[in-house]
This record gives sequence, structure tokens and C-alpha cells, in this order.
Amino acid sequence: MFGYHEIPFKIEKDEVLIETIKNGNFILYRRNSPENVEKIISGGISGYPKIVICPVEPVNIPKRVTNYLLIELEKPIVVAPDSSININLTFPIEIGVFTLAKKSVEVLDIFSLTKPKYALYGDPKDGVICKYWESKVVEGYEGFDPLKEGILELTITNNGDEWAEVKRVIFDAFSMKIYYSEDVVSMRAFMKIINPNVAETGFVKKPLKNGMRRSIELYTARKLPISEKFLMEWGL
Amino acid sequence: MILDYIVYGDVTISDLLLVITILFIAVIIARIATMNIKKMLSDKLSRDQLELLNKIVYYSIILVALIAVLPIIGLNLTGLLVAGGFAGLVLGFASQNIVANLVSGIFLLSERPIKIGDQISIGDVSGFVEDISIMSTIVRTYDGLYVRIPNEKVFTSNIINYVANPARRFEYTIGIRYSDDAEKAIEIIKNIIEEHPFALKHPQPTVFVENLGESSVDIVVKVWAPSTEWYSVKMDLLWKIKKALEENGIEIPFPQRVIWFANQPKQSFEN
Repeated sequence: MFGYHEIPFKIEKDEVLIETIKNGNFILYRRNSPENVEKIISGGISGYPKIVICPVEPVNIPKRVTNYLLIELEKPIVVAPDSSININLTFPIEIGVFTLAKKSVEVLDIFSLTKPKYALYGDPKDGVICKYWESKVVEGYEGFDPLKEGILELTITNNGDEWAEVKRVIFDAFSMKIYYSEDVVSMRAFMKIINPNVAETGFVKKPLKNGMRRSIELYTARKLPISEKFLMEWGL
Repeated sequence: MILDYIVYGDVTISDLLLVITILFIAVIIARIATMNIKKMLSDKLSRDQLELLNKIVYYSIILVALIAVLPIIGLNLTGLLVAGGFAGLVLGFASQNIVANLVSGIFLLSERPIKIGDQISIGDVSGFVEDISIMSTIVRTYDGLYVRIPNEKVFTSNIINYVANPARRFEYTIGIRYSDDAEKAIEIIKNIIEEHPFALKHPQPTVFVENLGESSVDIVVKVWAPSTEWYSVKMDLLWKIKKALEENGIEIPFPQRVIWFANQPKQSFEN
């Protein structure tokens, strides 16, 4: 499903059908699941636009109320002082459909096949609302449905002098770097533990394996100033 | 020539025209500047930040122009400072309310208890903040009415800002029959809350039997939701809970009272 598509096309995968139909001067875009969506796209002077389908930052569905993603670990990870650990987690997938004409990209549609849930990180006065996802530590990156779950390779580094217990990790969508291929969607991230209650998280601009394509980013330079890292200051 | 006609002191009509022209140009420049700021930064700054920046730029340009033209009409700033003592006293008494609104406006803009777009309640006015200017605050009520509140009133009133914190809690009390299984009802309610995306996972919702009432077992449901979404969540969840309970045979009872007659009429038993 992911990738660049020439109009007209029809993609059917699992329960999702996405198609574009030429209809005189315009193009009809149609999706049938999880809900029916129909949109009309105009054809450019130089021909029909291209359609790109790729995973996007998973913080838009059902409504954009935050730009943070909280991943709660099924089992906490205890990290020794002066050590680091590499783990794989999962993250929810939201799929973006874009139209491409000249150098301009427009969001046509965003949908998700996962159940959305939100949570508050921090206290009700100063905390932040986050998109919520629960994940266990997983082995490898195969056997996951790329339309529902992506693989997050997380490197946790504890530079402090004390042990730290990590129960959750929070990321800012503005710094997400998502890569995709037909069978896997991935991100690479880091978490630097400053002390047992404070950590810094961010992303690495590198795919999980060769040949993966970088997703179109919705959250780029939409807000000033842009921080590339998120400081978890209300506990790990 | 008429332009050389002296109005007062050394100030001629041409001087006055020059002042008016400079101020007029300053207003145009200020408007162009704010319009361009809006165009350039509308997708990079929030609406209230943009409005604040626009106001600062707009009034700064006007102020600079005003200071620049004062000498042309013979007003010396140092002279004004000396004269300002007495004039200020007179003006102060004459324009108490205006000054109070102005000062309150400055404090409101610096303290920022409310922002443009916030849902607030000031006194008996509730709605969305549309604008905060130097003199007044504009509120669009939930009925769509335009309400202008002088800043002095805003500043001295109790302000409730419904969206100042990222999350807020709401609660329901749901009564079920004594014959129903309260534990099962709690389980059903928890499942409904879990299914709703904006019923927050953390802080966790709480559902428990709070009271054994006269006609019902009262279950209290406390749910946290994002401040921007809490009202729609509150409206949505209650009906879903009611429907789910009914589908599982749990009913919300009407108030009822069992009455025993001390002397039951014999005929009524026979009938």
C-alpha cells in the first residue's frame, strides 16, 4: 500500500480499499475503511497529480489535540548506572494520503486502523496530553502488520550514578523520523536518562534497514521554536 | 498663503497637515506590517501569540510616529513632563475609568490568565475569548452573542478558565436497582470508558459505589479528559453508559417507596 501511485489506481489490503477514479476533468478519491471518505481532486495543467501513501506521525486521529506520543511499557525496564540497552517497541500507525503536484504536497486523508487512546503525562496543571500506546518489548521487526504497528528501535542510555526504572517513554511528533517499506514501518529513537526521574528523548535520522523510504512529515516547522528533543521531567 | 497661516506659536497649518500625513502613513505602515506578520506567521504561532505580537508591532509604530511628530506641533517632551504633573492630575480625575481599564488591560496582557480562544467564565458571562485589547475583552458567548467586558471588570472579577490546564475531570452519579449486580455494572462502565479515546488512560478513571440510596445503589464515575474535549466526552459517555447498562439488563430505577398500611381494608384483599 505504501509508496507513490499514479492515478488511477486501486489498492485493496486487508479490510481497506483505496482507489482513485478518473471522472472527466476531476479525480474521485475514495476510501472505505474504517469509515467512508470521498474527495474530489482537480487535475493540474501538466496532468494528474501523484498520490503518496505513507505512515505519518501517529498523533492525528481522531483529532489533533496533541503532538506527543506516550508509549507505556508492558514491563518496566531497569537500567543500571553507566550502561545502555537497545530494545524494540511497537508504535501505532496512522496512514497519510498526500497529493503531489510540482513541489507542493497536500494532505488528502489521514486514517488509522488502531484504536486511539489518550493520556496525561505529568500533573493536571503542567503536564501534557499525549497519544497513548501500550507496548511490550519485541524481538526483531518482522511479523507485524505495517498498517497497524511500526517498530521503534529505542536506545536507552543511563549516564547517571543511580539505577533508573523506565515505565514509559514520551516523544515529540515534531522530531519523528519515520521510514517505511512494504513490510515494515520503523523509527529509531534514543532516551538519555539524566537522573531516575528525568530523561531526554529524540529521534535518529536513520532507517532500520537499507532500502526504506522516509515518510512525508506533517510536523515540520509548523511551530516556533522547534525543539528536536523532549524532556521527560515528570517521571520515567 | 493659507498653509502659512499660524494656528498657535510657530505652528502653521502646513505643520498640522504634515503631522496628520505622518500619522496617517504610520497607521498604513502599521497595518501593512501586521498584515504581513499574519501572513508569514499564521501557521507558526498560535492565534493569541500572533494577536499579541501584532498589537505590540502596531502600537510601537504608532508610538514612534507620535513621538516623532510632537516637536513639529511645538510639543516638547521635556516640557510635557513638567506640565504633565498638573495636566496628569486633571486628566486622571477626568478619565479614571479609562485609565483603570488601560492599566488592567496591560496587567491582563502581561499576566495572561486568559488567552484568545480560551473557554472562560467572567462574572455571569461564559464563552470563548475573541480578543483582548488594551481597554476591553471581547467574549463570544456559547449562544454566539458578542459581549464586551471592560478590562477593569475582567481584572477584578473571578476568572474561571476552563482550558488553562491540559486536563480536567468530570463525574456522573448513576443509580442502579438493588436487585442488579453492582460489580457487573462497574465493569460495564469501565469498559465503555476504556473504549472512548478521549477518556484519559492516565489519570485513571474511577468507578465505585458511593451511596446506598433510598431507591438505588449510586455508582460514581469520575473521568479525566483533555480540557479542550471534556464537554463532548461528558455528553457522549453518559448515553453510552446508559445504553450499555440497559443492554445488560441493568436498569436505572425510578424513585420508589413501599407503603404498608397499618389497617388494611378487608374489602381490598377480597377484591
